[in-house]
Amino acid sequence: MTTATPSITRRKVQIKFNFERYAYLFMRLSGLILLILAVGHMMIQHVLNSSGNLTLIFVAEQWNSWGWKAYDIFLLLFAIPHGVNGLRNVLEDYIHNPGVMKTINIILAVFVVATVIWAAIGISLFDPEAARQAASSLPG
Amino acid sequence: MSSLILTIRESVRYRGKSGHYSWIAHRLSGLAILGFLVLHSWDTANAHFYPELYAWSIALFKHPLFAVGEIGVMAAVLYHAFNGIRITILDFKPEWWKYQQRSATIVWVLFAAVFVPIGIYMLVEFWGRCGGLGAACWAFPRVSDFIG
Repeated sequence: MTTATPSITRRKVQIKFNFERYAYLFMRLSGLILLILAVGHMMIQHVLNSSGNLTLIFVAEQWNSWGWKAYDIFLLLFAIPHGVNGLRNVLEDYIHNPGVMKTINIILAVFVVATVIWAAIGISLFDPEAARQAASSLPG
Repeated sequence: MSSLILTIRESVRYRGKSGHYSWIAHRLSGLAILGFLVLHSWDTANAHFYPELYAWSIALFKHPLFAVGEIGVMAAVLYHAFNGIRITILDFKPEWWKYQQRSATIVWVLFAAVFVPIGIYMLVEFWGRCGGLGAACWAFPRVSDFIG
C-alpha cells in the first residue's frame, strides 16, 4: 500500500438537532456577534467615555436615540443567554445528578427570560426627560 | 463536598499542552463577566424604573474598588473574546488541531498587546480623576443622599 495516510480521518455523522446542539451553535454565533457588540461596548463606554463621567444626564443624552437603545437591547439579547448558557455548561461539569441539573436548568431559563424582558423594558421605556428631572434634584 | 473539592482541584491541576491554562482562563473570565453583566443589566434597568437608586449606583461605581474591577472586566472580556474566536475556528477546522499550542500562545500575545495599553490608559485616567478628588475619592456614596 503506497497511498498516503491522511493525518485526519473525516467521518460524516448524522446528528439529530436537539436543544444541546442548538445551544452549542448559539454559543458560537452569539460569540461572534458579541465580539463586535460587547468589545465595542467596552471600548465606547469604558475607554472613549469613562465611568468617571457617567451621570444620569449622560444616559439621558445617549438613550435619547433609538440607535443606542437598539445597540444595548441587542447586546442584552445575546450576552445574557450566552453567559447563562456558559454557566450551565460549567455547572454540568460538576453536577452529575440529573434531577438537580434539571431544576437548575429551569431556574436559569426563567432567570434569562426575566432579566432580558425586565432590562429590555427598562431600556425601551426609558424617558430622557424624566431622567433629567430626577437628576436635577440629586447630588453629583 | 470532598468530591467537589477533588473535582475542582483536578480541573485546575496543570496536565500539560492543549491550552489547559486557556481552558481555565476562558471559564474564569466567562464567569466573572457573567457576574458583572447580571449586576449591570438589573442596575442599568433602574435608570428607567428607579432613577434615584441608579444615580446612587453609578456614584458607587466611581469608587476605586469598582474602577479596579472595571479594568478586570475589560481584561476578562478581551481574553474571552480572543480565545472564543480560537475555539470557534478550531471547532470548524479539525485539520488545524495540530496548532492547538501555537494558537493558544497567539491568543495570549494578542490579548497582552491589546489589553496592556488599554489597561494602563484606564488606570492613568482613573488615577488623575481620583487624585483630583482627594479623600472624597475613597468615600462610599450614601444611599440616603439619593433616596429621600
